Amino acid sequence: MTTEPRAFLTQDAGAATIAAALIGRVAGRWRLVGSLALPAGADPDAAATVLLDRARAADPDLATSLGLDGAQPSDLPRVDVATRPARRLAVIAGSERALEPLVAAASRSGWRPVSACPETTDPLAMSTMLLDASVDGILAGAGDPPAADERRALGELGALLAAAAGRRPELTVVLAGGMGEQLAAFGDASGRPSPVVVAPAGAGAGDASVGLRQVLLDLALATDDSRRALGSAALSLAEILDRRVDVVEIGFDGGTRVGAWPAVGNGSSGVDLAVVPAAGLAPSDPDDAVVDRVATWSSGAGDRHRLRDRLRELRIAPWADVAGEGIELRLAAARSALGCLADWTPDWFDRPAADLVVASGGVWSVAAGPSVVLALVDVLRRSGASQYALDHARLLAPLGAIADQAERRAVMTDLADDLLAPLGSVITPAGLRPGRSVGALHLHGQAGTRDLELRPGGLSVVDLPAGAAATAELLFHDTVRFGGRGRRFAVDVTGGLGGLLVDLRDVPLRLPDRADLRAELLETWQAAVWAPSEP
Amino acid sequence: MSGAGLGLNLVPARPLISAPVDVVFRLAPGDRPLVAAGDSVVVGAPIAQRLRDPRLDELSIPAAATPRPGRRWVAPSDARDGRAAGGEFVFGWRGRWRVASGDIADPLEVPFAGIVRDVRPGTAITVRAAGRGIRGIVVLGGPTRGRLQATPDGELRAGSLDIGSAGTILVVGSRVDAETLTRARAMGVRGVIVTGLSSKERRDYLASEARQRSALHRLPPFAVLVLEGAVRRPLAGGVLTVLTSLVGHEVAIVADPPMLVFDVPNLQVPAPPADLVRVRGGSLAGREGRFVEAIGPRRFAGGVHLEAGLVRFPDGSVAAVPLGDLERFV
Repeated sequence: MTTEPRAFLTQDAGAATIAAALIGRVAGRWRLVGSLALPAGADPDAAATVLLDRARAADPDLATSLGLDGAQPSDLPRVDVATRPARRLAVIAGSERALEPLVAAASRSGWRPVSACPETTDPLAMSTMLLDASVDGILAGAGDPPAADERRALGELGALLAAAAGRRPELTVVLAGGMGEQLAAFGDASGRPSPVVVAPAGAGAGDASVGLRQVLLDLALATDDSRRALGSAALSLAEILDRRVDVVEIGFDGGTRVGAWPAVGNGSSGVDLAVVPAAGLAPSDPDDAVVDRVATWSSGAGDRHRLRDRLRELRIAPWADVAGEGIELRLAAARSALGCLADWTPDWFDRPAADLVVASGGVWSVAAGPSVVLALVDVLRRSGASQYALDHARLLAPLGAIADQAERRAVMTDLADDLLAPLGSVITPAGLRPGRSVGALHLHGQAGTRDLELRPGGLSVVDLPAGAAATAELLFHDTVRFGGRGRRFAVDVTGGLGGLLVDLRDVPLRLPDRADLRAELLETWQAAVWAPSEP
Repeated sequence: MSGAGLGLNLVPARPLISAPVDVVFRLAPGDRPLVAAGDSVVVGAPIAQRLRDPRLDELSIPAAATPRPGRRWVAPSDARDGRAAGGEFVFGWRGRWRVASGDIADPLEVPFAGIVRDVRPGTAITVRAAGRGIRGIVVLGGPTRGRLQATPDGELRAGSLDIGSAGTILVVGSRVDAETLTRARAMGVRGVIVTGLSSKERRDYLASEARQRSALHRLPPFAVLVLEGAVRRPLAGGVLTVLTSLVGHEVAIVADPPMLVFDVPNLQVPAPPADLVRVRGGSLAGREGRFVEAIGPRRFAGGVHLEAGLVRFPDGSVAAVPLGDLERFV
C-alpha cells in the first residue's frame, strides 16, 4: 500500500439527508467515482459500504487501480462535514432602534434570535428570556458610542445581563459596541466555561455590522460545519474559475448564501457568508406567515390547514413523501425559504450578478435541473446574465473543509468538472417596457445563429446542451438594465440541462393576488422550462 | 454483501423504546424548586411551585441576607408589606434588589418516580425517570399521569366519552378532533395518545386549553401525545404491541421530551423482526412488510430518482418503495 491515498470518502451529514461520495485518483487527477444520498436516519457507514460495492461492481479494473479491492470504509481517508440545528440567541439592547440591526446581524449569522429591549419588555420577562433553557447565547449591544436613548438603560441592562449570565455560565455572551463598557459587571470572566466576547457595534455607517457578523458566525458554526465549509469552497472555486461565484444552499434547518470573488487588479479575493436559520426548508412551527409564503409559490396548495399539515410532515420526516406531489411541495417551500434568505441579505441585490450561481442542498437534488434554475430566478432576481450549476453530489462543503488551502484548491481544480452539474444560463434584463416586443436576441453558436423575439413578461428556453458555448447578442428598442444600462449587449453563455433561459419577467417578480390566476401563471412558467413525464 | 443484511441499514431507524429518560420541567424566575439534585421523587411528589402571575418587586435587602441572583428570599414576618412574602433574587441595581414573586402558586407534581438530576432555579429541573419511554412528536399540555386504556376500534368521538374514562390515558388510533379532546379533558380523562393530529384540530384545542388555563379553577392536568405527525395513519405495529401490553398500567405523559413514560420492569417488549419495515409516506403509507433488498436508484412519480428497496407485504405483493418512505424500529 502506498502512502499517497488513491481514493477518499466525503460525507455531508445534513439534518434531512446524508450525502456520501467516493473520490478517486484517475489518470493523475482526482475524479468523482460515485455518490449517494440517503435519509438522515440511515447508517452512514452503510452508505459508504454501498458506494464501495457499487464502484467495485461497475468497474472492477478502476476499483483495483484505486486500491478498493476488499477495502472497507474505515480503510479510506474521509472528509466529513455536518449541519446542525441553529442555536438560539437572546438579543437585548437599550432601545428598539438599537435592537433592529443586532437582530438583523444575528439572523444572518447562523443564530436563531429572540429579542427584547426595555422599551417594550419588562425586566422580569427579559430575565425569563435569558434564563430560558432553550437559549444558548446572549448578544447585548449598543451604539459606539451609545446614543442618548440607549445610555440611560444600559446600566440596569448590564446588571440584569450579568446576573443572568452568572446563573448560566454555559452561555456565550457577546457584548457589542458600547455594551462592552458593561464588561466590568461580569467580574472575572476567565473562570466561565463559555466566553464573554467584546465585539464591534451592530450599527453605524455603511456595512457596519460586518465585524459583528463575523464574530457571531465564528461562535455559531463548529469547525466541521458544512455551511462554514461552503464559504471556503466558494472562495476556492472563484479563484480557480476566476469568476464571481454565488452559492445558494437551502437546507432543512436554514439557508446559506455565499458570494465569492477572485482577485482583480490590486484587490484581493474574498468571500461573504450569510447563514440564515429562518430560511430553512421546514420551519419547526409553520405559522400563518410561513404557510402564506409557501402557498404563494404552490400551484396546488389546497386549503391552508392541509398545507400546514404537509409542512409539519415535511419537518418531521423531510426524506419521506418525495415522489409525486412531494416535489412540488418542496420546490414551493424552497422558494419560500429563498424569499426569506433574500429578505435577510438585502445588500446582495445591489451587487452585480454572479458569473456562476451554484445551488446546493438536498432539496435541489430531487428536482429536475430546469426546475431548480426556475426556483432560483423566481426569487433571487437580479438583472444580468449568469450561469447556473448544481452541487449534485453535495461535494462542495466537504471539499471546503479541507484545511490546507493549497491542497483544497488542487483537489477542487481536478474536480471542477465533476462536482458541478451544468444547469444552463439565464439572461434577465430589467426595466422592460410593456408591449408586444422589446427587441431581439441573436444566439451565435457553433451551429449557426438562432434568433428570438423578446416579448416582455415571458419565459423562453433556447436549447443549448451542456458543454456548448455561445454568444448572446441582445438588441433592445429602448434602454434597459442588464448589469449596466443600455440597448445593445453581448454576453457569453453556456448550456446545461435547462439550456438558455431568457427571463423577461418583472424584476422583482410580481404575482397575481388571486390564487387561481397565480397558480395558472406558475404552471405556465413551469411548463415553459420543464414538464415531468410519468414513469 | 448485498440484500437485506446491508440494505436494511440504509432504512432510517427509529427507537421503539427509549431508556434512560431524562425529563425537563421548565421553570421561570420566581418559581420555587422544592427538590435538590440527587433527591429521589415518588409519583405525584411536588417538585416545584410555579407562580401563576409573577411580578418583579424592587426591595431594599439587608446585606446580612446575602442576596445573590437565583437565591430565595424570605421576608421576615414583621417586615411584610402585604405585597411580597418572599421570592427569588433576580438582579441588583443601585443598591436595591429586583425580586420575582407572586401571590398564587401551583404545585408542579412529577408524574413518575425518579431521581432529580439537576435543579436550576429560574430555568429547569431535570429528573431521570425510573422506567422507559415511547417517544412522540409533540405533547400539548401536561405533564400528566393515568391508567392506560385502549379505545374500541381505535376510534374516539366526543359522544362516546363518558365519566367512566376519568383518570385514564386513552390510546386513540389514527386521528382525533379538538371537540373530542376538549370533552375528554372536561370528563376527567388525563390524556390522549394519538398517531396524528391535524393543524386545525391542534390550533382549536390549544385555544381551548389557553382559555382553560386562564380560569381560576383549573381542571386536572391533561396532555395530548402525538406519536407521528399531522396526517391520518394507523399506529405502527411495534408501538401498538407495546401500548397494548401496557393497558391497565399507570403511565405518564411528559412534554420535554415528548414521551409516554412507563415503569413496568417486568414488561417484556418483544423485539420486532429485524427486517420488518413500515411505509411512512407515499401511496402505501401505513403498511408494514418485510424488507427484501436495496435495489439502488429507481424512478418514481414526478420523474424523481430515489434510492429504493423492495418490500414484501403480508398479502404476498412486493413493491419498490423509496428508502426515505420506509422506517424500521430498533
